[in-house]
Parts: sequence; C-alpha cells; structure tokens
Amino acid sequence: MKKASLTCLMAMAAIAPLALTACGGGSSQSAPNEKVDSLTVLDYYNNEPDKTHIQGALDKCAEQLGVTLKRETVPGKDLIQKVLQRSSSRTLPDVLMLDNPDVQEIAATGGLAPLDDFGVDTSGFAQGMLDAATYEGKVYGLAPTANTLGLFYNKEMLTAAGIQPPKTWDELEAAAEKLTTGDRYGLAFSAIATYEGSWQFLPFMWTNGGEETDLKSPKVAEALGFIDGLVSSGSASKSVVNWSQADVRDQFAAGKAAMMINGPWQIPSLAKTPNIKWAAVQVPVNGQGQTPVAPLGGEVWTVPQTGNKAKQAKSAELVQCISSDENQLALAKERFTVPTKTALAGEYVKAVPEMAAFTEQVANAQSRTGKLGKEWPKTATVMYTAIQLALTDQASPQEAFTKAEAK
Amino acid sequence: MTTLDITTARSVPARLRPRKANRPKLGHTAVGLLMLAVMLFPVYWMVNASLQPSGNTLTADFLPLNPSFEGYEKAIAQQGPNLLTSLVISLGTVVFSLAVAAPAAYMLAQFRFRWINAALLAILISQMIPGIVIANALYAAYNDLGLLNSIPGLILADSTHAIPFVILIMRAFMMRIPPSIVEAARVDGAGLVRAFVSIVLPISRNSLITAGLFAFLFSWSDFLFALTLTTTEDVRPVTLGIYQYLGTQVSNWSAVMATAVLSSLPAIVLLVLAQKYIAAGATGGAVK
Amino acid sequence: MAERDRRRRGFRREHLVQALFLAPAALFLLLFFGYPVVKNVVMSLQEYTTRTFFTGEAPWVGLANYATAVGSSLFAPAMLNTALFTLGSIAGQFVIGLALANFFKRRFPLSGFLRSMLLLPWLLPLIVSSATWRSMLDQDSGILNAFLRNLGVIQEPVPWLTSPSVALLAVVLVNIWVGIPFNVTLLYGGLQEIPEELYEAGAVDGATGWKAFWHITWPNLRPVASVVLVLGVVYTLKVLDIILGLTNGGPANATQTLAVRSYQESFVNFQFGVGAAFSNILILISLVFAVVYLRMNRRAVDE
Repeated sequence: MKKASLTCLMAMAAIAPLALTACGGGSSQSAPNEKVDSLTVLDYYNNEPDKTHIQGALDKCAEQLGVTLKRETVPGKDLIQKVLQRSSSRTLPDVLMLDNPDVQEIAATGGLAPLDDFGVDTSGFAQGMLDAATYEGKVYGLAPTANTLGLFYNKEMLTAAGIQPPKTWDELEAAAEKLTTGDRYGLAFSAIATYEGSWQFLPFMWTNGGEETDLKSPKVAEALGFIDGLVSSGSASKSVVNWSQADVRDQFAAGKAAMMINGPWQIPSLAKTPNIKWAAVQVPVNGQGQTPVAPLGGEVWTVPQTGNKAKQAKSAELVQCISSDENQLALAKERFTVPTKTALAGEYVKAVPEMAAFTEQVANAQSRTGKLGKEWPKTATVMYTAIQLALTDQASPQEAFTKAEAK
Repeated sequence: MTTLDITTARSVPARLRPRKANRPKLGHTAVGLLMLAVMLFPVYWMVNASLQPSGNTLTADFLPLNPSFEGYEKAIAQQGPNLLTSLVISLGTVVFSLAVAAPAAYMLAQFRFRWINAALLAILISQMIPGIVIANALYAAYNDLGLLNSIPGLILADSTHAIPFVILIMRAFMMRIPPSIVEAARVDGAGLVRAFVSIVLPISRNSLITAGLFAFLFSWSDFLFALTLTTTEDVRPVTLGIYQYLGTQVSNWSAVMATAVLSSLPAIVLLVLAQKYIAAGATGGAVK
Repeated sequence: MAERDRRRRGFRREHLVQALFLAPAALFLLLFFGYPVVKNVVMSLQEYTTRTFFTGEAPWVGLANYATAVGSSLFAPAMLNTALFTLGSIAGQFVIGLALANFFKRRFPLSGFLRSMLLLPWLLPLIVSSATWRSMLDQDSGILNAFLRNLGVIQEPVPWLTSPSVALLAVVLVNIWVGIPFNVTLLYGGLQEIPEELYEAGAVDGATGWKAFWHITWPNLRPVASVVLVLGVVYTLKVLDIILGLTNGGPANATQTLAVRSYQESFVNFQFGVGAAFSNILILISLVFAVVYLRMNRRAVDE
C-alpha cells in the first residue's frame, strides 16, 4: 500500500506532475444503501464566539440525523485554497461552508452537487441569497442567516450636535462635516484594497442606480465622487484606504468616528465598549424616492461532490436542517445576523429590536454575484482599485474606473 | 577568542594574553539597551495591546494602567498543547536539518567537485521558490503518503526552509577550516567519517549552533505549512493556534497578542541558552 | 541516485563515502524542491483555473500566461516596486545588521542577553507584527506620528500607509525591522570566526577603527557576507505576508510587487496559470542574482 503510493509519488515527481487524479485516494466508493454515521464539515468560523454558535447548530442537527460530525475550521482567507486542494486530492468534506460570492466559482468547477438532486426545499428564502447560490439555474447551497451594511451612529454625539440620523447623501455630508472635530471624524468606512473595500462601496453605487456590469456609467462615478468628497473635505480620514471593517469598528468604538458604515456582525464587539451608545439606520440614499440597496453578506452551506451518494444525501439533510426556521432564528439572535427566510423577519425584529434597520435592508439587498457570477472577483478588483485611485488623488472619480480597468 | 584556535599554532594561551585596561563597559551596555529598546518597541506595543480590554490600540495609553488579562487566560487555557507541538516540530527540524545538511556542507566546502557550482546554484534556486508553491505540491504528495496531520510530515516540510539555508551557511563557515587539520588526522588513518565527526564538527560548533538556531526559528515561525498540511486539530502548531483568533469578521486581537507574547517565551529561553553556549564555546578556547 | 565514480583509481571507497555525505541532501532537494518547481513550470504553461482542481483538465496554452503577466499594466510598476523594495530592504538590513553585529562583538555586561533579545522580532508571527505596525503607522492616531510630532521632526502627520508615494517606504521600513535579526546573527557569527591575532597584528601596523574594518574585517567576512546578501535578496524578493498585512498591495497599487501579483492572480482572481507565470518570472530574477553571486564566490575562492 505505502510502497505503491511511494512509487506513485516518484512517478509524479519524475514525469507528470499533474497526474494527481491517477494517484488520488480511491476512498469514494459508492453504495447507496450503506448506513451513514459520520460526516466531515469544513467552514471558516474559526474564531469565537461564532465558532461555538455554529457548533451548537451543527450539533443539534447531527443529533436529529443520528450522525457524528468531524468539523474543521480554517482562517477565512485560506478557505478557498483548502477547498481547491481538497478537490484535487479527492478529499472534499461532506458539508462545505462557502462565503456567498464564492459559491458560483466553486459550483462552476463541478465540485458541488445541486440541492434539488436530494429534494431539498429552497422556497421562502430571500431572493438575493438564492441568486448568490445559484449557478446555471440550479441552487447549490442554503444560508441560514445573512448580513448587510448599515449606518451606525453614536447617539450621544449626534444629540450633542443636534443632528438627526441622516437619510440622504446631503444630510450625511452635512452631518459628517458638523461632527468632525479635533481627532474625531464625522464618518468612518472601509476603502481598503481588498473585497471589503468593494463591498462597502456597493450600497452607495447600487442605491444610486449604478451597475457592476457598467462601471463607467455616470451613476457609479457620482457615487465615487460622493465618497471622495467626504475624504477630501476631511469629514472622513484619509486612512480609509487602509482600514478594514474591523479597523473602522475600532475607530468608532474608540470615539474617533461619530458614524460608520458597517455590518451587524460588529455588534457583539461593540458591546465591549458600553460607553459608546449607538444605533443603526439604513445606508443613506442620494435622492428622494431611491430605495437603499445594500449588498448581501453571509455564508452558504453546500454539498460537495464526493462520489458517495449516501453521504451526500445525508449532507443535504444537514444543510436543510441548519437552515430550518428554528435554527435560523437561534443563529440570527446569537450572531446578530438576519434570518434568510423572509417570513421570519417580523418575529426576529420583535426579539432583537436593534436589528430592525438591518432586517429591512436585507429584504432589498442584492447578491454580489447575481449578475456577474464568477466574473465578480475581477470586477471587485477593478472597483477597489478605482476607489483607491480616486481617494489617493491619482485619478478623478470620473476617470478612476477607466484607469483601473486598464489592467 | 575562537574555536579556530587550534589551527593557528598559538604561542600564548588566550587567558594569559595581556588584557587591555578594563574600561568601564557599562556605557556599552547602556547603548546596547537603547538599541534594543528601539528594535523592540513594536514588541512592547504588542504587549501593551494584549493588555487592553478590547485589544483596541486606539484608546491605548502608553502604559497599560488598567490591564485586562482576558486574552492571557484564553491563551493559556487553549494554547498549551499547541506550544508543545511547536516545540517538538521545531526541535525535530533542527535535528533533521543539521543531520542532512552538515555532511553535505562539508563536502561542498572542502572538496573541489567539477559540478560544485551547479550544486550551489540548485541549492540557491530552492530558496527562491515561494513557499506557497511548495506547500501546494506537498499537499498532494502527503495526501498519498499519509503524512498529513503528522509531526514527521511537518518536520520534513519545515526542513525545506532550513536545509538549503544550513548547507549554504555551514559551507561559508567551513570554507575557513584549513584542510591541513583534517589531512593530518587522515594520515593517522582516520576515515572520512571519523575525521568529520571528531574534528570537523567540533570545530564548526559555533556555526552549527547558529545554523540550528535559524532552523529552529524558521520552523517556529512557519505558518504556511502548518495551515496547508493539517486538516484536523490533532497536530496544531501555535502559529495556527494564533490564527484561530482571527475571524473572518471579528478578530480577537487581545488573545492574538497574548498568544504571541506567550509563545515567544519558551523560544526566548532557548535563544538565551544557545547564545550562552556559543559564548562558552568562544571563551572555552581550544577543542582537543 | 549516487553519482557514478568516474575515475577508478583505488579511491572507490572514498568516493562512496563522499557520495553518502551528499546523498541525503541531494535526495531531499530533489523531492521537496524539484517536484514543486516542475509542477509550477507546467502550471504556467496551462490554462489552470479553479475547474482544473476538480476535473484535472488544463489545456496547454504555451506562453500565453507569460504574455498576460508581462502585458498587464501592473507588470512594470510591480517590477519597479520589487526592485525598490528589495534594494531598500537589503541595504537597510545589511548596514544596520553589520553595525549591530560589530557593536555586539565587544564584550560588555549583558551583551549576550541583549543580542539574543534582538531575535525577538523574528519569533513573532508576521500577521502579528504587521498588525502591530499597522496600528503604529496609522496616520491620525499612530504612535509613530505622535512621537515624531512631539520631537518636532514633523508638523503634519505622515501618511505612512495611506499615500501612494510613502507606502512603499513604510513597507520597506517594516521589512528592514523584520530582517535585522537574520543579518545580525549571521554577520555576528562571521565576525566571531575572524582570529583576534589579525587585529592585533593590524594594530601594530596602525590599522585601527575604520582602517581595520576595511582591511581586516571586510575581506575576512566576505564569504559569510556574500551568503547573507544573496540569501537576503532571494528571501526579500518573495516577501508576501508583510505587504499583504500592511497594505495588501495598495494604496492604489503603490506596493504591488511580483510576489503580491503572483498571490493575487492565483488566490484572488483564481488565474493559477498566470500566478505561476508571475512566480516563475520571480524565480528567474532570483536566478540572475544567484549566478552573479557564484561568479563572485568563485573569484573569492580563487584568491
């Protein structure tokens, strides 16, 4: 056994480095009626408190299905690399969590099983989340909860300045300017050179009618111009080009920003600074009659193609179970995320009133990959590059996207 | 002063040499401390952050006056076994790398092979390959060989940092050993192996320790292989333990910093011990 | 595996032993470096995407990936940044490292302890160091700007990581800090090996201070110094974590290097073929340095 694989390794080293498939472990025999008693799970909730919350939901479902789970968690940015490695060595987990913009990319490789193969019911879920998990007309995964972006504001600071929470860009601009004093900025947001920067720009772009399929439109330039104006007028720090969303939260929690664009997942850590009294509203819109449209965040649970039909069927049951009404509500309450079944919204907001704005925002939220599918990463790269070019005065908002696309 | 003492027919033993008048050297110590303070300020800042209640350095004072040990409690509770794993892997890497590399370094230093430049070039090329390229290739091979999630597997992988490096470094040092000493022993009938073990290695003790130190540090700070070549929590070096506090959305910086501080402690002890040993070797004079 | 003995002159056993000295290292290099390199070269000649990992299909595209890599508008800036980053880092690390190594060569109370503590930056995972530096370099509330302002060195806060014209310098500074322990340790080891008698003899001829350094220290340190420099260059060329941690290649691509490009093409855009092409270009550049080093080294040996 071992000898064979050693020879195989030698052969690989010597001749065909890509003959991975020839040497792959042949562990995926398929016997449809075998009893499944254990499943492997891979996700990126490697940090507390999420790790334990998710474990709770998994354990509940595992008990219901009568299986034991072997769970592996990896740091978020390394998940895709792990998934690709695992697919090349034919050792994909039975249940795989993916960040929603990555689902189509992985589904396109043929590595995931469509959920209707196993008769999973996908009705009642928010359309944006289904869009993200759909590839070529088939749904590949379910998300129990979703998150999005909103505008957090420091209640005491706004009250002291006599300002109402802004609803429009003009109000936001005026408020940010008025709230900027000393070492405090009016607004903090993330414009970092990663997907986080693109994600934070989307609410402004989409609300204004801009489309990711046409980045050179005047509507997109207008949104970028608005952000750029906040930075160049000094109402937002020049450091936004190097802030992740966690840094933005730190600024807000330290009282160095009166408002911030951020997501509800920051709420638990804001609880650690009880002296900061905050509330949240939807992201302001440019003009009357516009609906705030924010991007949909959240993780989707999928069933990889492992070749073992019996296990895959069991995994699909697990995926369905994680997204059951009961689990959605439990996870949403624990993690400050929004249930993806729209019918649960009322009950949820009753239980967690501070999530009202975000819940409303999720109802209209769009997925990043709904239009572009696996082209999204490329476009997101152009977006954050353009944002950086504009905010560092390397290009005007009008020409930034043209310049960024010239790659 | 050096372990090469035996190579130069030394007329006066080191300890009998007239010493320069003993200047007060505390001035040097002060300057050294100042340099160290500058170099280690970021480390201090990290410790400071690890004691902040939120791990938020924005509100941090220059001194952690209201320390919170939450991060440390977490780290001690969760990272103990990982520290041990890291130590075992790092020490294993040191032993394996030196055993493989030292003989090769000696050959390349003392014998004029026609293909020596090609060999050196190959060794250098190996240092140019981005780690991620190696890690991805090893994953597939390890998966077939059953070396994933194993300490030997990680020792072998971490040795990729160390072996080429140790060969080059040891060779640079061994170039300075005059062939005459070894030849003298060979005339007395000692075989190549014996000459190597009883003469070359003792002479090269300083460079062995230096190289070993580096092998340790390379392995200790490795994160890439730890991440790539493990799929369970059975074998988890402390660098990977640190990463578990870095979430996708929320990171627990006070725990990260606390783990980093804690995990440096055993390594510092080793460093100080190793350097004491070097110092002892340097003053201990001749190796007979 | 072992090399064939070419000359049969009764030294067969000797040759065998020599071969045995070299065999383990040779085998290790072949397995742990040969295979990945071959794999990477093959990958760079294929259209290698996420799909390939699952199906194993990767159509041959010849040199198209290299054309994509070299043709991208980021290639020239990335080349320039790589050169500046490497030169700046190496100059800083080596000079400061040599100065510190020379300083610590003298014996004074606590010298050994202080020298081992200098290695501390190396014990920290890079993710931790870069996070710490990021908070220190913050434009508005970073301790570095506060410190410089209190000293009166600057009036306006320096936009360390947020201005395209300064960010590369900031990244170089942090990388110098990370690299100093490596340089100090090796150069200190090299200095230790220089016999004291040489200095004593030099002192008789009036070579002290700088003169002693140029005429005694430097020539004797050369073999070690050249290894340190070449390895330093090779290691610096592939630096990735620090840049990703500090700026992620930003702001506005001001800190894009070949290593960052390679990583982003592979793991952000999933264009593994193009990523492999970038890393092969990087390896080629390192090769040029290596050849120069070997030339220098041969000269040194022939002396």
